[in-house]
Amino acid sequence: MPVRNIIQIEDIHKSYGNYKALQNININVKKGSIFGLLGPNGAGKTSLIRIINQIITPDKGTIKINGNILEKKHVYQIGYLPEERGLYKKMKVGEQAIYLAQLKGLNKIEAKKRVRFWLEKFNIENWWNKKIEDLSKGMAQKIQFITTVLHEPELLILDEPFSGLDPTNSELIKKEILDLKKAKSTIILSTHNMNSVEEICDEAAIINKSKKILDGKIDELKNEYSTNRWKICYVGNKMSFTNAVWGGWKLESHHSLENGTHIAEIELLEQLKISDFIKGIVSHIEIQEVARKTPSMQDVFLNVVSNE
Amino acid sequence: MSEIWLIIKREYWTRIRKKTFIIMSFLGPLLIVGFIGLTAVLSKGKKNSYEIIVFDEAKLFDGVLRNNEKYHLKWAPEDKNYNQVQEIFKSDENLDLLLYLPSNLIKTNSMTAKCLYKAIPSSSAQKHLTSIINEAIELYRVNQNQINIETYKAIKTRVNLDIIDVEDPENKNIQRKGIIGFVFAFFIYFFILMYSVQVMRGVIEEKTSRIIEIIISSVSSFKLMTAKIIGVGLVGFTQFFIWIFVITVTSVLLLNNLVPDIYSSTLQSQNPLTVNTGESAQIIEFLLYKIHWPSMFIFFGVYFIGGYLLYAGMMAAIGAAVDEETDTQQFLIPLTIPMIFALSMISSVIDDPSSSLSFWLSEIPFTSPVIMLVRIAMGIGPSSVEAWEIILSVGLLFITFILTTWLSSKIYANGILSFGKKASYKELFKWLKS
Repeated sequence: MPVRNIIQIEDIHKSYGNYKALQNININVKKGSIFGLLGPNGAGKTSLIRIINQIITPDKGTIKINGNILEKKHVYQIGYLPEERGLYKKMKVGEQAIYLAQLKGLNKIEAKKRVRFWLEKFNIENWWNKKIEDLSKGMAQKIQFITTVLHEPELLILDEPFSGLDPTNSELIKKEILDLKKAKSTIILSTHNMNSVEEICDEAAIINKSKKILDGKIDELKNEYSTNRWKICYVGNKMSFTNAVWGGWKLESHHSLENGTHIAEIELLEQLKISDFIKGIVSHIEIQEVARKTPSMQDVFLNVVSNE
Repeated sequence: MSEIWLIIKREYWTRIRKKTFIIMSFLGPLLIVGFIGLTAVLSKGKKNSYEIIVFDEAKLFDGVLRNNEKYHLKWAPEDKNYNQVQEIFKSDENLDLLLYLPSNLIKTNSMTAKCLYKAIPSSSAQKHLTSIINEAIELYRVNQNQINIETYKAIKTRVNLDIIDVEDPENKNIQRKGIIGFVFAFFIYFFILMYSVQVMRGVIEEKTSRIIEIIISSVSSFKLMTAKIIGVGLVGFTQFFIWIFVITVTSVLLLNNLVPDIYSSTLQSQNPLTVNTGESAQIIEFLLYKIHWPSMFIFFGVYFIGGYLLYAGMMAAIGAAVDEETDTQQFLIPLTIPMIFALSMISSVIDDPSSSLSFWLSEIPFTSPVIMLVRIAMGIGPSSVEAWEIILSVGLLFITFILTTWLSSKIYANGILSFGKKASYKELFKWLKS
């Protein structure tokens, strides 16, 4: 049976002195997926990523890559973009990219070829002999991304990949991530800004205060945690709208546009169905749109945390 | 292994290509040779004659006091007293010194003559004046006692004492060799410090530029630290060989110009015993034949490797523990004190190279690279340092280096991932235990 999970994290624990950074973490990352590792700052995401990158060792637990226990040789299969970016400031772009690729196991000729390919792809082939210190921050970010993917890793781990990027570069990197997924790479995205990645992630795990509190497919998570909330756009009198149905629902918010349209957000309570609610109001006002509110990952997170 | 090699190559080439390295490689030795040459030239041009007025109170020494061109003696007018002579001395610009020989000078064997100066006479001038006065008094007494002058000359002796090692009669005057040892000790101190600080700077650079996390996701932090230390050490060796080459070439050229005849004759004769003319010839003979250069360079290499590895590991740990170079002071000072202490103890070691102080300083790994070179320069044998002491010292140095590197790597591994704060000693200790 082919291995479906590229990464299996089993019962990982890590402490720094008395401080528990990770407790009992179990996560599976499917091959070829984009996996979001979400959680607020200080939740333990970076510790987990450093353990996968073998920068630090866990106190307990194992990590398997393609079904095998993680070993030093696997660093060649992993590409890592840390949250704290950096390159040798005095080193030239081409030389530096080749050096980093060689450290990831490429030979010099192949590394040179691929650096050239990527620089051409981003239309920056004339940067080859520029020193990093002479590049702008955005330019350096591009080089940083290139050095992360040069050795065509099976698994790409990006820690806060969009932080500090301008919108153009942000879109560029997003597109590259999706292209890499098409090329059968697996990508782990770690971020505290949960809304920024949900559109490109297939699955996610949420870590809070050193523990995993949730994981699964993004759609399923959203469904599971969706509340019975609806957005209703209508034209008519607000009083007529609010008095049409007596009980069984709650007005969460209401605001009016200049063109006379009102947007109401309601939550249905108990057994009241949306069809019954609409039946009640339809003769009093003119309905323009009814839509169920799907929660963002941020909402899901807040929901889980508030229930704990 | 291949990634260690890659890192060594990067550390080496980025430093070798730096302008500062190229400048230091050539300017450093040129400055050294230049200073030595300048000293030689300046000492040639120093005051070469003294006009001296002699006030001989008892009028005993006219014609007895040896006069020559360099120390030109002139008798004060007989009718003047001491104060008047002083006035003459002060008013006559040509006079450099006033030599006052009081009338009681010959009474006992330990009286004092006086020399008044406008600009202080050199120590060799002082020595010369003392010796001619002693000589004159001796001659006066020879006459007084009606001793035949020839007999006196036959009795009068001047003995030089050669300090000779009983086991190795060739090894004499070892204190003089200690000076060569001092030069080597200074250089090893300089090289060890300069290159181990470069390791520290390299670590700080990787940490502040934040590339460190990318590198250690490819290689372990221990390998990175080791490779960096080796790479920088090779730069040190490269610089050392360039220095030797430049110093040799320039000093051969310089010596040839300063003392052309003596130098070439020494070189041609190839036999030090036949050449014995003048001070420079003696110095050159001493430098060329009395110092065992191969063992000096071999042990410089051995102790540079050992001392550098010892300090570089600790410097790497310091670099990892701080966020910027200005924070390194509090850790650097305790590390450099043993070396500076060793430098300050060199003169005691030269004074008695086989004392227990010399022994311990050359065995303790933090001072041994500096002190052992001094002792080795003074000859390997019972008079200075025995072979077993060197073996023990090198062994201790390398065992300590392994130990400190192991401890340093723990601080290093924790430190490089700790951003935004300067570690305290307490924290370092915690990292050591982790």
